[in-house]
Amino acid sequence: MEEDLISKKDLLDLTGISYGQLYRWKRKQLIPEDWFIRKSTFTGQETFFPKKLILARVHNILNLKDDLSLDDLAGKLSDNFSFSTLTLSAEMALERNIVSNVTMNKFGEWPGVGREYNFDQLLHLYTVDSLLGNGEINLEEADLLLQTLRLRTPRFEGKNYDLFFIRKMGVSSFILAPSPAELLFDEGVRLVTKVSLGDLIEQLKGKLT
Amino acid sequence: MMNKNQLPDMIISGVSDAAGGSYDQVIIDGVGRIKGAVTSRVFRGNGNIHVMGDLAAEELDCNGTMNVRGNISFDTMRADGMFKVKGALRGERFNLNGLINIQGNCELEEFKGEGGFTIDGLLSAGHVDFQLQGSGKAREIGVESIVILQANIGVWSKLWSGIFPTFKPELVTGTIEGDHINLEYTTAEIVRGNTVIIGPGCKIGLVEYRSELSVHPASVIGKEEKIGG
Repeated sequence: MEEDLISKKDLLDLTGISYGQLYRWKRKQLIPEDWFIRKSTFTGQETFFPKKLILARVHNILNLKDDLSLDDLAGKLSDNFSFSTLTLSAEMALERNIVSNVTMNKFGEWPGVGREYNFDQLLHLYTVDSLLGNGEINLEEADLLLQTLRLRTPRFEGKNYDLFFIRKMGVSSFILAPSPAELLFDEGVRLVTKVSLGDLIEQLKGKLT
Repeated sequence: MMNKNQLPDMIISGVSDAAGGSYDQVIIDGVGRIKGAVTSRVFRGNGNIHVMGDLAAEELDCNGTMNVRGNISFDTMRADGMFKVKGALRGERFNLNGLINIQGNCELEEFKGEGGFTIDGLLSAGHVDFQLQGSGKAREIGVESIVILQANIGVWSKLWSGIFPTFKPELVTGTIEGDHINLEYTTAEIVRGNTVIIGPGCKIGLVEYRSELSVHPASVIGKEEKIGG
């Protein structure tokens, strides 16, 4: 699977940041090492980035860097630990446009917890909400998705994973696979949507900070 | 973290081996071999020092030769002499007078000095200000600003550099990317920057610049390209 990549030069043009900033952020570990993908092109070696991830990250850094020092930022963005202690109330989640009213009313009741959500739970709600919002799944499927995410994702232990949603003969199923994953299906299967949870995590972090 | 006051000191005078560990101060005069990873607040070495593992210190001060098998990290480091690092080098400020050989990446906020360096990985720094007396080598350089100058060299080193190419005071690298770039006697495939000043003695395949480029007439540039508005 050819992921959507952006070259370093295009990234700088698009975001208006400089080489110096980019290298500084890398040194401060604001941008993970494994996002730097080296590829040979006709002009020689070039560095590429996963497009969605890097654009979201640069956006987040630019938004936050006036309020926080780069070192504080690194703690905020690059490890999930500072997020793992975070909890958000239902009202806050609605206020920050993380979850829509419909989703919150239908799925907001979490077994065992009150109306306070940790990062993983927010991510699950956010995933469900964005798919519902796109009209790609219906409410029944949303319920199934939420249960699947809740039960299965702890096994990925923080690694990035992709979510596939397929339909065949009117029957729908969800598939979770560690990314980058390429799945091949038989002819009758329609791949309704594929979501990289890494992108969603990045977006969610943007909304939370 | 342990209370700093409780940490012991390691002091070696003469010739000795020592185990690694956490120390407040490590002071070595003579020949010292540390057989493991060592962490300290202050690390001072004079003479010949071997560290078989990682070396981490807030303040590093070294005269003579040092050989580190692992990674090296510090806040500030002053080094006079010859240094070899098997792993990566990471720190805030590094002042070098002599030669260093780093097999991993080198990440610094400020890199100043005179002498020569060989970096097999990426040299990433806030500011590089270096006078070359020997050869400078790096696979890739990414900086905010870089100034590479050739130090005034005497007749003897000119003579030596004819015999041993490693003494030739030139920078050789694949790509240099930075905001402000000022180079002398540099061979590079690609130089990309905002303001680029190419001094004498450079051979550069491609220069991409955003706002300014000036080229010394005694330098050869394959292709110049202005990018952006």
